[in-house]
Amino acid sequence: MAQYQNLFTSVQPVGPTHHGVDLPRDDDKRTGTPFLLHLLGRIGNAQIGPVYLGSLGVASLVFGIAAFNIIGFNMLASVDWNPIQLLRQLFWLALEPPAPAYGLGIPPLAQGGWWLIVGFMLTVSILLWWARTYRRARQLGLGTHVAWAFAAAIWLYLVCGFFRPIMMGSWSEAVPFGVFPHLDWVSALSLRHGNLFYNPFHALSIVFLYGSVLLFAMHGATILAVTRYGGEREIEQIVDRGTASERAALFWRWTMGFNATMESVHRWAWWFAVLSPLVGGIGILLTGPVVDNWYLWSMKHHVVPAYPLSHPVVIDPAILGAKP
Amino acid sequence: MKLTMKLALYLFAPLAFGLLSGCERPPIETVQTGYRGTAMEQIYNPRTLLKQASLNQAPEAAEAASTDGPRAKEVYQNVQVLGDLSVAQFNRHMAAITQWVAPDAGCAYCHNVANFAEDAKYTKIVARRMIQMTQRVNQDWKTHVAETGVTCYTCHRGNNIPTNVWFAPKDRKYANSIMGDLAGQNNATQTVGLTSLPYDPFTPYLKDAAAIRVNGHEAMAGIGNYSNRASTKQAEHTYSLMVHMSESLGVNCTYCHNTRNFQGWEESRPQRVTAWYGIRMARDLNNDYMEPLTKTFPEHRLGPKGDVAKVNCTTCHQGAYKPLYGAAMAKDYPELQTLAKP
Amino acid sequence: MSMLSFERKYRVRGGTLFGGDLFDFWVGPFYVGFFGITTIFFAALGTMMILWGAAMGPTWNLWQISIAPPDISYGLRFAPMMEGGLWQIITICAIGAFVSWALREVEIARKLGMGLHVPVAFGMAILAYVSLQVIRPVLMGAWGHAFPYGIYSHLDWVSNTAYQYLHFHYNPWHMIAVTLFFAATLALSMHGGLVLSAINPGKGEVVKTPEHEDTFFRDLIGYSVGTLGIHRLGLFLALAGVWFGIVCIVVSGPFWTGAWPEWWGWWLNMPIWRT
Repeated sequence: MAQYQNLFTSVQPVGPTHHGVDLPRDDDKRTGTPFLLHLLGRIGNAQIGPVYLGSLGVASLVFGIAAFNIIGFNMLASVDWNPIQLLRQLFWLALEPPAPAYGLGIPPLAQGGWWLIVGFMLTVSILLWWARTYRRARQLGLGTHVAWAFAAAIWLYLVCGFFRPIMMGSWSEAVPFGVFPHLDWVSALSLRHGNLFYNPFHALSIVFLYGSVLLFAMHGATILAVTRYGGEREIEQIVDRGTASERAALFWRWTMGFNATMESVHRWAWWFAVLSPLVGGIGILLTGPVVDNWYLWSMKHHVVPAYPLSHPVVIDPAILGAKP
Repeated sequence: MKLTMKLALYLFAPLAFGLLSGCERPPIETVQTGYRGTAMEQIYNPRTLLKQASLNQAPEAAEAASTDGPRAKEVYQNVQVLGDLSVAQFNRHMAAITQWVAPDAGCAYCHNVANFAEDAKYTKIVARRMIQMTQRVNQDWKTHVAETGVTCYTCHRGNNIPTNVWFAPKDRKYANSIMGDLAGQNNATQTVGLTSLPYDPFTPYLKDAAAIRVNGHEAMAGIGNYSNRASTKQAEHTYSLMVHMSESLGVNCTYCHNTRNFQGWEESRPQRVTAWYGIRMARDLNNDYMEPLTKTFPEHRLGPKGDVAKVNCTTCHQGAYKPLYGAAMAKDYPELQTLAKP
Repeated sequence: MSMLSFERKYRVRGGTLFGGDLFDFWVGPFYVGFFGITTIFFAALGTMMILWGAAMGPTWNLWQISIAPPDISYGLRFAPMMEGGLWQIITICAIGAFVSWALREVEIARKLGMGLHVPVAFGMAILAYVSLQVIRPVLMGAWGHAFPYGIYSHLDWVSNTAYQYLHFHYNPWHMIAVTLFFAATLALSMHGGLVLSAINPGKGEVVKTPEHEDTFFRDLIGYSVGTLGIHRLGLFLALAGVWFGIVCIVVSGPFWTGAWPEWWGWWLNMPIWRT
């Protein structure tokens, strides 16, 4: 059955580039001449640009690039300014938060001071970028749903790097900037707090994470399956339901007994994707300030399964008052 | 189309090669160490294991020597340890030590061959203390070495210096600059199994007696006496020690723990108790035997910070869950099994 | 009835893979089909086995119920029912039910004149399950390597399996899979948000157009993938995430027995820059 699956665009119509919907008077002009990339056009739109460089965006980039550079130069310094070693050890390098002994105080520059500066600059950059996503939507007369989704991610970022360290009384609890080091932080947090799998908010957050992946597979596949009826023209289909939406809805109704609409599926999508960092952030915030050991917490709440012992009973040698 | 295919191939082939080059293949062997379905198991590549087994063989012991005749201290001068052995036993022991520690240099590694009694070489002083250390392990650390015990070979394996000893790590060249503080980690080092965890788990835990445990006994975070004040950073330090221990023994975390509840002894395996004693033993050996020898060793035997070589788990285990896969060497050398009476 | 206002005209015969007209009907909103029958059979049998296993176990606490695979000593043989055999039957039923569900989706798609993208995508999820419970255990020589059926007990399996490799985060395929999962979730939030922002533009505004959607992302980041592209991208990110998840676990054990951080040795020890 040789059927076109619409995974890649085989015939690309090439027309004039689109310079964007008109912006209100008080906005700047857009930057850059839009151009087309044929290879990109096989997957999505071929057009790159123009971009809107407003004050919020430029400010965000300034803070962001500064933070990125401070991280990079500290990494380079940590390998004694050897660029080959920088590339070789890149995944292992980091900019570390201050040691536990400094608490919430300001440490020396070299011992965590840079991390505090970067943390501050990166946060400012992210918040400015958030403001940009809000403003661009408003200026185009769109709803601000993208901005509020972004806010959920920012919530998790702030929990890990700001709120929780403050509640724990120590910047050292925050996440280091580095590829493997931030993964070490993840493991260490779980080890310290009695295995995070037993944190119910963590479990729920994963439900929403995997659920989001499931939903996008479902939604992406469904739309692709009805592109022959114009299914990807979702706005049109929402205000004026066509056979694409009808078939898509019926597919799921007949499969699992219920279905969404062309609009409501996007609400399912938004909520699942937003609830993952939202609930996850709550779970992280509770870890330490409220709950010290999630395994023991789960024992208290009678959810821990019991296994028969495969070996003789083991007793803590420390409490035996054991001496060599 | 052909060109893009070629390009893709040339780009991806080396990538694939790189990614695949670190690979092994089935069949593999597994040993279940917990209840079924809990995934507490040890995983071995039988080909690697075979090679490792051949590299970790105990040498044959010489036939037991006669205990008759005068004592070694009556016949030889300046015999401070092992003096109560018969001359035959003493000589057998010396032959064994030479084979274990200095097979190439021979007797001259420790002795002035013109005058064996002389303490001219530092190696003789060190060796004397090492014999006492071995006796200490076998007599007082049965909680770790049981009846298998150790000999000089367990660490030295025919080398003057054991292949796996540790020194305090060298600071990086620009350690005093205002940028790039490693904070004791975030470097790709073999000591912690190529993780970016703290790269010196030995000084705090195998020399000093820093607290290894980071878990509390209460579910809720508390204040006062019941609060667990360990930091997440501290958990990283403990983790780096655990990585070292696992790699030294060629085992994984489930050898001792059920990882859903690392701290719970009731869910841990008996091996964890043995490991607990092993840590204390390493501290004992480093502080009571190695540290005091710092001034005895010449410069070139000391570390970059001028400290003496010290032991960690790898020194004896060298990738085997029991050194030499449990070969009982010590039973053939009763003189190494008890500390001599002063 | 349980039909939507526009549904009747779509309820036509045809599209079946097997069985012709015999099972080509609906029960309420559900399409049956031959594979609906097989789904019900496997699902019911599997569920009864699970309930039996729970009844034979120490508890009815939903969180603690666990049906464990056999000991590794049974290798790839059938184990006695109470020693893991029950788990084996449940696994067979699960695979039967999942494959039936996918084939039923094929029939439904064909009947509705749709592409088969959904059942193909579901096939990736089924592959993940089969990889974990069949392929990897077979490569390792025992059913006992698979995960147990229990809410918290399957998480204990995940934790211990990961720590078998000392630090599973260093598994490069796992890193790729996690990145793709997070990217898929990010893309989903952006897509959901974008469509909703065009349809619900706020007080006093009119519903917007795809040109507004494209303009928003071009203004923001200089590129907009477009209405068709985002669905391809989302499907790709999700399926690629699952695919690399499959790779990362099938490799762990059969093709890598050591600690995952050690794998990176090939990079660190390249002759051009080894220290």
